[in-house]
Amino acid sequence: MIKRKVSMKQAKDALKLIRRSPYQALAAALAMSLTFFVSSIFILLIIGGQIVLNYIEQRPQVIAFFKDDTNESRILEISKEVESSGLTKEVKYVSKEEALAIYKERNKDEPLLLESVTADFLPASIDISVNRAQDIDEITKLVKDKPEVERIITPENLIEQLVKWTRTIRIGGIAFVSTLTGVSFLIIIMVVGMRIALRRDEISIMSLVGATRWYIARPFFIEGALYGLIGASIAVFLTFSLLLFYSPNIQEFLGPIQIFPVPPLFFLYLWLGEVAAAIVIGVLGAAIALYRYLKIR
Amino acid sequence: MIQFESVTKKYPSGHLALDNISLKIESGEFVFIVGSSGAGKSTLLKLITREISPTTGRILINSEDIFKIPKSKIPILRRRIGTVFQDFKLLLTRTVFENVAMPLEVLSKNSSEIEKAVSGTLEKVGMLDKANNFPLQLAGGEIQRTSIARAIIAKPEVLLADEPTGDLDPKNSQGVVELLEKINKEDKTTVIMATHNAQIVNHFKKRVVTLESGKIVNDQKEGKYETG
Repeated sequence: MIKRKVSMKQAKDALKLIRRSPYQALAAALAMSLTFFVSSIFILLIIGGQIVLNYIEQRPQVIAFFKDDTNESRILEISKEVESSGLTKEVKYVSKEEALAIYKERNKDEPLLLESVTADFLPASIDISVNRAQDIDEITKLVKDKPEVERIITPENLIEQLVKWTRTIRIGGIAFVSTLTGVSFLIIIMVVGMRIALRRDEISIMSLVGATRWYIARPFFIEGALYGLIGASIAVFLTFSLLLFYSPNIQEFLGPIQIFPVPPLFFLYLWLGEVAAAIVIGVLGAAIALYRYLKIR
Repeated sequence: MIQFESVTKKYPSGHLALDNISLKIESGEFVFIVGSSGAGKSTLLKLITREISPTTGRILINSEDIFKIPKSKIPILRRRIGTVFQDFKLLLTRTVFENVAMPLEVLSKNSSEIEKAVSGTLEKVGMLDKANNFPLQLAGGEIQRTSIARAIIAKPEVLLADEPTGDLDPKNSQGVVELLEKINKEDKTTVIMATHNAQIVNHFKKRVVTLESGKIVNDQKEGKYETG
C-alpha cells in the first residue's frame, strides 16, 4: 500500500520551506518582530502623550487676575468677549469671595495662613480652558491687552513642551519605524530570493510539467505573509507583557493622570492592525523577490 | 500533429542550432531524432515545449502556432506534452510517488485521484514496489522509469524524450525504449526521442530523422542511424 504523502495544501509547502532553512526564517521573523515592537512602543508613546496632553488641556490654562477696582459687570463683559473668540472650552468667573473659599480650602490645615485674610485681599479672576493647547498664546494676548487685568498665569511652557515632545516622538517614530520597515522588507526579499534560488530545479520542473506562474509563486507569498503574522504577533505579545509588567511604575510616574487599565480591545486592534501591515510587507517583499528572481522560461 | 515550418534557431552566442528545417510528425507516431552532439536534437525538443523560441519559422501543434499562444497559456500547452530528460530531473528530496504525482498536483487534483493515477502509472512502468523510495535509492534504469512515469501521468498527447538512455547501460536502455514503445502503442501517445544511440535506433525500426549541423539530412520510415 502506497503511503499517501501528497500534500496538496501549499501552506504546508510554505511551512516546509521555512523548516528547510530555519535560520533564514528566524532572521526574517525577528526583523519583523523588531519593527513592529518598536512601532508598538511608538504608538503607545504617542497615545500616552496625547492622554497627558488632553488631561492638561482640560485644566484651566489661563488665569487672568483683575485689579481691585474692576467691577463684576466689567469682568463678566471681558469673560463674554473671551468666550466669543471661539477658542475656549470654558470661561469661569471666580469672584473675590469664591477665591477666598478656594484659598481657605487649600490652606485648611494651616490656620496661621487663614488668619486675617479677607475677600478684599484676593483678586477676582477668570479661569480659561482652551480647546487646543496651541491657542493659549492668542487667548493670553487677548486678555493681556485689557487695562483691568493685573496679572496672567499660564502653564504655556509645559503645554508647549508637551506638544513639542509629542510631535517629536511622532516624527521620530515615523522615521525610525520607516527605517526598520525598510530593513524588514529587504530581509524578506533576501530570504525569499534565497529560497527561490534553492528551489530552482524544482521550479524549472514544475514549469515544464505545466505549473502556472501563480501556482509556483503562491508558497512564497504564503511564506512572506507568515513572517508578517509571526513577527507582528511576537511584537504585540512582547509589548503587552512589558506594559503589564511596568504599569505600576508608569502609573506612579504619571500621578493623577489615569491611563491604566488599558482596555483589552486596544491590544486586539493593535494586533489586528500590525498583523495586517506586517502581512502586506511580507507579501510585497515576496512579490518583489519573485519579480526579481523567479525566471520561468 | 507537430509541424516545423522553415525553422531556424540561432543562439545569442551565434551558434546556429537549427538551419531552416521543415518536419511533420503525425499523431501517434514514434520518431527517433538522431545526430551527433550539437546537431540540434535538444534544440528541436525545447522548441516544442516553448522553452526557447525560433529565430525564424513556425512550429504548429494540431495546426496551432505555439508561439502565438499567450505566455499565460504556456502551462496549458506544456500539460499536453510530457518530457523525459537524460539527467532525469527528479527531485531528490521527494519519493518516487511524490515525484510522479507532481504534474497532477499542479493540476490541483485531489489526493484520491492522485493516489489512483500514480499507482496505475507506477504499475505500468514497473515501479510500484519502489513508490516510497527516494531517487538516490534507485538504480539508473529505475530512475529513468520514474521520470517516464512522471512524464506520462497526466496523459499527454506528446512524449518528448531527450537522450533518455544517455546514462544507462545497454540492457536498461533497451528496457526504457521498450517502455516508450509500449506507451506509444497502448496510449497512442506521439513519442519523439532524441538519441545518438545507434544500436537502439537500429533495433527498434522506427521513423528516423537525422540531423547534422542543424539540418535534416535524412528522414526515413523504419530507418537506420548510420554513424559511419
